[in-house]
Amino acid sequence: MIDVLLITFLISLFYVAIANRIMTYLKVLAFQGVLLFVVVFLQLSEINPVNLALILLETIVFKSVAVPLFMAYVLKRNNITREAEPFLPNFVSLIIVTFIVVITILLANGVEDTNLDKIFFVVALSSLFTGLYFIATRRKIITHVIGYLIIENGVFVLSLAVGNEMPMLVNLGIMLDIFASVLILGIFLNKIGDVFKDVDVDQLSRLKDH
Amino acid sequence: MLSLILIIIASTFFTGIIIRVKSLASGRKGPGIFQPLKDVARLFKKGVVYSETTSFVFKIAPTIYLASVVMAMLVVPFGQSKGLISFNGDFIFFAYVLALGKFFSIISALDTGSSFEGMGASREALYSMFAEPAFFILMGSLALLTGYTSFHEMFAALHIGSYITYALGILGTFVLMMVAMIENSRMPIDDPKTHLELTMVHEVMILDNSGFDLGLIFTAGYLKFAIYGALVVNLFIGLFPYQFAIPMFFVIQVVLATGVGLIESFMARFRMSHNAQFIFVLTSVSLLIFFGALLIIGKFV
Repeated sequence: MIDVLLITFLISLFYVAIANRIMTYLKVLAFQGVLLFVVVFLQLSEINPVNLALILLETIVFKSVAVPLFMAYVLKRNNITREAEPFLPNFVSLIIVTFIVVITILLANGVEDTNLDKIFFVVALSSLFTGLYFIATRRKIITHVIGYLIIENGVFVLSLAVGNEMPMLVNLGIMLDIFASVLILGIFLNKIGDVFKDVDVDQLSRLKDH
Repeated sequence: MLSLILIIIASTFFTGIIIRVKSLASGRKGPGIFQPLKDVARLFKKGVVYSETTSFVFKIAPTIYLASVVMAMLVVPFGQSKGLISFNGDFIFFAYVLALGKFFSIISALDTGSSFEGMGASREALYSMFAEPAFFILMGSLALLTGYTSFHEMFAALHIGSYITYALGILGTFVLMMVAMIENSRMPIDDPKTHLELTMVHEVMILDNSGFDLGLIFTAGYLKFAIYGALVVNLFIGLFPYQFAIPMFFVIQVVLATGVGLIESFMARFRMSHNAQFIFVLTSVSLLIFFGALLIIGKFV
């Protein structure tokens, strides 16, 4: 069952590569959050209530609800256009993401380590690289944040790859996630200046000599 | 032998059901299920008009096109009964004999000297080029999973047992059906009902064909759909006894036809520039099937 979920996760990466709208990215992020929760729930061998509550908070509340809603709010408030506006055509993105997956499969095949669960490793690495790729090729700052969140999902999966009783690592993941949210907020506050500059330009154009 | 008969029976109603579902979804009653068959019968009674600019290529192409589809039909098995022809690596034969037919339909379109038909031919060539790796990676993963290289042995050894094989079966169905839609130039890729030559892919290639030749091309199209449907059925029936397998064959074919009809009713055709990336998604998905196959056989733990 976990394998199927992780393969679905990879398919969602392909979908992000060809999606056109930022809202679609956010929906995929929310979906990935749900997937990660189910994976963790099935993967962890013993679950104590505190741990479960932390994981629930991180995956469902943060990844699936709070972050997408907040980003949708930012989109709406700043009148950011709906299109993602990548530098490269979507078709090239898809080919590159496919190559990333192939290369990580080859890479994972070369790793000789019995402690490492390879399928987790493949999914984690490919979503790390895909996130990097999105950051490199998307024009808008908000899509950079989305790329960062995809990387963060990859780190979460990677933490599952090494073992199945790591409250410390899960906590670490939560820390990273909160850090991500702060980063979103920071970038948002930083970029508010740019947005207002745009608004200013609009307003300036209305100033005329009569 | 059994698969041959079943595919021919299925091809009689497959396209009819698609058209009927589309009419029902748009609130019309629609023609009968066997209307496409009657159309073809009417076309077969007619003569053929050839343009003066065409050469012999244009005359033989529809025949070769139908012949290639019939040849491809011969290798498709049904459960534990073989196709009429069965040998190691026959899935490669299947893909390339279809490609031969497609090649002839492309050069016959170029032969007419019409600029529209040349454009349609170029698009058709591009799309089938992108669809080919998807089909081969899918079949390659099945071969890897079962250890055989002919359709019959592959499908017979493919027993669906665990959850991951179900997932692979569903993904395989998706890829095969989408390849069928591309091969038949149906909705998400190409709109068979469009009336503008600039937006056509397959229809524009057969604009100059008339009468008997057009009938041959239509027949080949109906057969192609039923062939891909039969491949999908083969993913699921495995070694069921005939009294279950044969009804399942028809049920799955009807479900697929209904699904195609519903997709065509509720989806708009993609923009031409989006088609290439859509088709490449199939390759990516079949790559994941390959990955899943590696997981199952334990080459990759």
